Amino acid sequence: MSSVKALGWRETVLRVDLSARKSWREPIPRDLLHAYLGGRGLGVRFMRDHFRLDPFDAEIPLIFAVGPLCGTPAPTAARLTVVTRSPLTGTIYDCSAGGRFAWRLKGAGLDAVVITGRSTVPVALVISPAGAEIVEVPQLWGRTVPDTVSALSGRGSVAAIGLAGENRVLFANIMMGEGNSVGRGGLGAVMGAKNLKAVVASGDRQTGIADPGRFDVARQDVMRLFRASPVIFGELGISEYGTPALVDLMRQRRMAPTENFRRTVFEESGNYSGPAIRRDYRARKDGCYGCPIQCKKSTPEGEPLPEYETVSHFGALNGISSLASIVRSNTLCNELGLDTISAAATLSAWGEARGRFSDADEVPGLLRDTAMRVGEGELLALGSRRVAEHLGRPGLSMSVKGLELPAYDPRGAYGMALAYCTSNRGGCHLRAYPISHEILRKPIATDRFSFSGKARIIAIAEDTNAAVDSLVACKFSFFGATLEEYAELLSAATGTDYSPQSLKEIGRRIFLTERFYNCENGFGAADDQLPERFFSEPGSSGEGIAIPPIDRGRFAEELQKYYRVRGLTPEGTFDDPDFLLKQP
Amino acid sequence: MLDQIAEYTHKLVADRAALPGEIAFAAQDDTIVAAGNPELAKLAGELLSRLSCLGMAAARPSLPFADFLVARAPREESHIVPRDTETRTFLHDIPFVRREALEAELAEAIARLLGNRKGVIVEGVGIVASGALTVEQAYINWSSVFHSAFVKYLQDVLHDGFLLPGEAEAFDAFRSGWLRPLTAEGLVFRDGPLADPAEILAEIAAVGRYTVERGLVDSFFGNISCKSGGVIYISQTAASLDALDGCIDPVPTDNSSTFGITASSELLAHRRIYEHSGAAAILHGHPKFAVVMSMECTERNCPITDCWKECDRVRFLGDTPVVAGEIGAGGLAKRVPPVIAGPRKAVVYGHGVFTVGARGFGDAFRAMVEVENWCRDAYFRALEGKLAKG
Ligand code: SF4
Ligand SMILES: [Zn+2]
Repeated sequence: MSSVKALGWRETVLRVDLSARKSWREPIPRDLLHAYLGGRGLGVRFMRDHFRLDPFDAEIPLIFAVGPLCGTPAPTAARLTVVTRSPLTGTIYDCSAGGRFAWRLKGAGLDAVVITGRSTVPVALVISPAGAEIVEVPQLWGRTVPDTVSALSGRGSVAAIGLAGENRVLFANIMMGEGNSVGRGGLGAVMGAKNLKAVVASGDRQTGIADPGRFDVARQDVMRLFRASPVIFGELGISEYGTPALVDLMRQRRMAPTENFRRTVFEESGNYSGPAIRRDYRARKDGCYGCPIQCKKSTPEGEPLPEYETVSHFGALNGISSLASIVRSNTLCNELGLDTISAAATLSAWGEARGRFSDADEVPGLLRDTAMRVGEGELLALGSRRVAEHLGRPGLSMSVKGLELPAYDPRGAYGMALAYCTSNRGGCHLRAYPISHEILRKPIATDRFSFSGKARIIAIAEDTNAAVDSLVACKFSFFGATLEEYAELLSAATGTDYSPQSLKEIGRRIFLTERFYNCENGFGAADDQLPERFFSEPGSSGEGIAIPPIDRGRFAEELQKYYRVRGLTPEGTFDDPDFLLKQP
Repeated sequence: MLDQIAEYTHKLVADRAALPGEIAFAAQDDTIVAAGNPELAKLAGELLSRLSCLGMAAARPSLPFADFLVARAPREESHIVPRDTETRTFLHDIPFVRREALEAELAEAIARLLGNRKGVIVEGVGIVASGALTVEQAYINWSSVFHSAFVKYLQDVLHDGFLLPGEAEAFDAFRSGWLRPLTAEGLVFRDGPLADPAEILAEIAAVGRYTVERGLVDSFFGNISCKSGGVIYISQTAASLDALDGCIDPVPTDNSSTFGITASSELLAHRRIYEHSGAAAILHGHPKFAVVMSMECTERNCPITDCWKECDRVRFLGDTPVVAGEIGAGGLAKRVPPVIAGPRKAVVYGHGVFTVGARGFGDAFRAMVEVENWCRDAYFRALEGKLAKG
């Protein structure tokens, strides 16, 4: 056997058993890397023998995985994915984040870290090229994310949980030191249940590139497409204004979820639009390490400013028009380690149930109580589905599989409606990201009020994005570039030829594996459903745009089409009980 | 799906890009449907069943240029590289399958290439292109391959003359039969300045249609705008010039709103052109002879290799300035505005033409016709010179 390492990958996983206080490195078979790439795919593959475990079972793996492009100059590729089973949704779950941490982890000579077991006292895992150390940090338990990061930053890049993760809030996130978050699905709670306060990485080993000349050509191709994309580098695009550039667009398309999705236009949304944030906070460009797009924005003092989903949900969804309040909520969530989307949506569902949305002034206290699980926060910490069920109003949770929907009303984009339901991690916009073509016209426009063709479009996009999440690249790259250029980057980096088609086939394998895990855990067609509201209540029509309820029959028909495209039964399940055994 | 197939089959005929009766499309939802020329439809369907995409176009182009490019390519070559910047940006290169590829394995061979690229030339069969999301996208990719083959062939012939039997005759037929006189005659333009938004939208849509109907440009690439007060009304990104109803964004010039994030990638260029020229309307398209001639630089021993991007000189095609510059945020927005104000027209190296109208679209349209006609004449003059010299 050749001892030469494949370029791009490290062919190494760090396994950590927190119960036994042990860690060791193991080789990853090259075939597995070729078949699953890295990031989401590799993490999902590593879950094969563990996906039935309860998310709070000590033995559930919490997996941090980077991809073959991490550590190279591939645009937007300094990212990692965290994979485990979500306590919020019960589904298999992956969530990605950009930043230096991913790069440092790869630099420590690793493709992935698989953490199992539970420590009896709070610990931090410190990873360097030389090895890994499990350090007791009782003094950091109960501290905010920024405090934790600054206490540990001397040892490397930090990924940490806040109070929410410690207290197993079901939508607790994992924060990266630079302010990026592994936001959704409550993965921070899984980390908290392990008594793991932080992971620190400090590697700086280079990632080899098999064919630097070819790599550079592909890189320039990507950059040229970024420059040709109005959404990325256009003067009104996300590089200039961040994702809040979407505020005005969603207002104009009349699909901005307002007051728990009772309406779809919020008249005061101009208060927190991209230009408003720039004006009021003198926003400057910021973003993930090494990313040329820099879609994040922060104040001149470095305080991260909220993204589109966050401004819209702490704004319109809760009927709050004060930008100052929204920015405060965002900062607080970052400090406490809460997913902003689920936090805001849970508050909104709770508000509708009790007949009154929260005032801007009440929000900070409620967020703190949620993270601490005291007072009203005891209930809010469970997420909107459990809150609504508890209050006897299950229909008020605007979620799919328990994951709160983000800020694109499905009545305004039918592909999005379908994709919320078919997503393996619940109501998420990023699995298939149909907003790209239904709203942003990339790579081409599709009719947002039609289901026609959407089943297959969604399936193909799910496969594509599963591959993207395994590279790991940022979805926003694909407002300009395509898998063509990323396949070329990957081929040049690893020395193995990939094509867009072969990447989509890998993505399909990953996606179906996830779906299989979910089905084994009891998920099926009944869970692939939108909240009733979207079928029975209209959105806010006007200005020549009608936002009627979604046609239930047509939706059901397209969902069945989707199952057929996917080779599933009409119940959305697998005919073949041995599906997994046939996968590499 | 069938209605879309009918629509884009019709468009390929109306564009005079593909031969009627030799066009097929396939599309897949939960099942595959294919329609059109039976053999091509069978091929399109077979390709689709092997690929993760939604639409497929297979059609024989109305001109033999793509086949000639394949036959002229050295034996060891397996793809051609477009010269015009816009298609090169999106297609990178165009692989081809030679005539002698085994028929039994043809679909497999094409599928393999389409697994990597958006369009393929199959010698003796035609152009095959996929659409990841829609049938329209397959049509666009097909048209892009057609466009870049057209431009490259014209340029190659200008440089190297005819190399194959039958080429000169085919080229004559193209010149005397396929090409039609370009003119703005008979078209009605609203006289500006236009102020009523509804009227502006209608005029933009009408003029967009004219550019395609008159054969000035292909429908998909290009953009158009009109400025009124503090608003630029501009076609959206990925919009077809002949189908602009509902695809025009009114963008405030003070950037007080970002909903124009869906506007054309050349929004910045349009804005700057308005600032420099005081014009009321802008037209941008990729007329083919202008694209070809813009790349005919006579400079010798120039140190610059990436002319389309790096050249900082202002050259001239007749009285029309030519500058270099990448699309979008890449540089054309810097170089075009300063040169366009006087002549009210400008060509971007290897890319296309911008023209402006002082009050409305009439003079902008006529200027674009003039530029393309001048380039057409210049091309044939140059070609005759080349052929006479041998
Ligand atoms: S585009 Fe934004 S989110 Fe994506 S990698 Fe760049 S900075 Fe990060
Ligand atoms: Zn152009």
